[in-house]
Amino acid sequence: MTYKILTAVVAGILTGFFIYPDYLVQYIGLLIDLGLCLLLFFVGIDIGRQKDILLKVKVMGFKILLVPIMIGLGSIVGAIFGGIVIELPINEAAAVGAGFGWYSLSAIELSKHSAELGTLAFTTNVTREVIALITIPIIAKYIGKLESIAPAGATAMDTTLPIISRSTDGSVAIISFITGVVLSSLVPVLVPLMMKLTF
Amino acid sequence: MNILLYLFILLIGAFIGSKDFLKPKLLNRIGSIQTLSLLFLLFIMGVKIGLDKEIIFSLATIGLHSIILAVASIVFSILGVKLVSSKILREKVKVGDDI
Repeated sequence: MTYKILTAVVAGILTGFFIYPDYLVQYIGLLIDLGLCLLLFFVGIDIGRQKDILLKVKVMGFKILLVPIMIGLGSIVGAIFGGIVIELPINEAAAVGAGFGWYSLSAIELSKHSAELGTLAFTTNVTREVIALITIPIIAKYIGKLESIAPAGATAMDTTLPIISRSTDGSVAIISFITGVVLSSLVPVLVPLMMKLTF
Repeated sequence: MNILLYLFILLIGAFIGSKDFLKPKLLNRIGSIQTLSLLFLLFIMGVKIGLDKEIIFSLATIGLHSIILAVASIVFSILGVKLVSSKILREKVKVGDDI
């Protein structure tokens, strides 16, 4: 599955870069939305077919929220360590990390500070999404099902949800959706907040 | 935003899935439709990235920095979830035992 995903993404990037005709550009957002809705519908069917799912999720209760909390903390702390390696100020690195893979929003927010930081937020979070798409099946197989939600971050409720659902099971898919919702709601709050931090 | 739309679509799917009128043959076919539409979606997402010449050219200059930040974020996220996953999944096993 990972090879197929990698091939599809790379073929898409090459097509977009070299041959995609300009007059079709306006439809690309619509195509992505339609594809996403169709896939989420299928994820819903998978969830509905497993009857005891709601009970399982209910028993796990508020502990589920530990998943987005740990992913949020890990993303920011990880970005700070990465920032030390590339000599980026701690608050800027933390803000880029707090994008959680939602590249458009984090980039818009951080380009208010500087175009350079906005671009870095954009490419870092695009890179995160692409790495997530490719590694989720591998992480689910070799590390753990819940851990496979980690690379997805805020995208765990939309673009990476179909992959997580296919690589794990219905209850992890529900946790993934909840994780994505929580992290997405935190992005607009945390990105500006991290910029204000002084160390 | 889109959250409500996504939730609505998931719920419709879950409702249809919970009723048993989908025959196994159809469900098998849905599996391959699912894979195909996933790959199509990923292809289109790739096209969107590739279309933005600015991203591609900035990736050439700050690509390594982006990879370092993204990989570090991902690795620490996985470690973070690993710390709590046994706590969450243990409960799940208990439920399985009860049933």
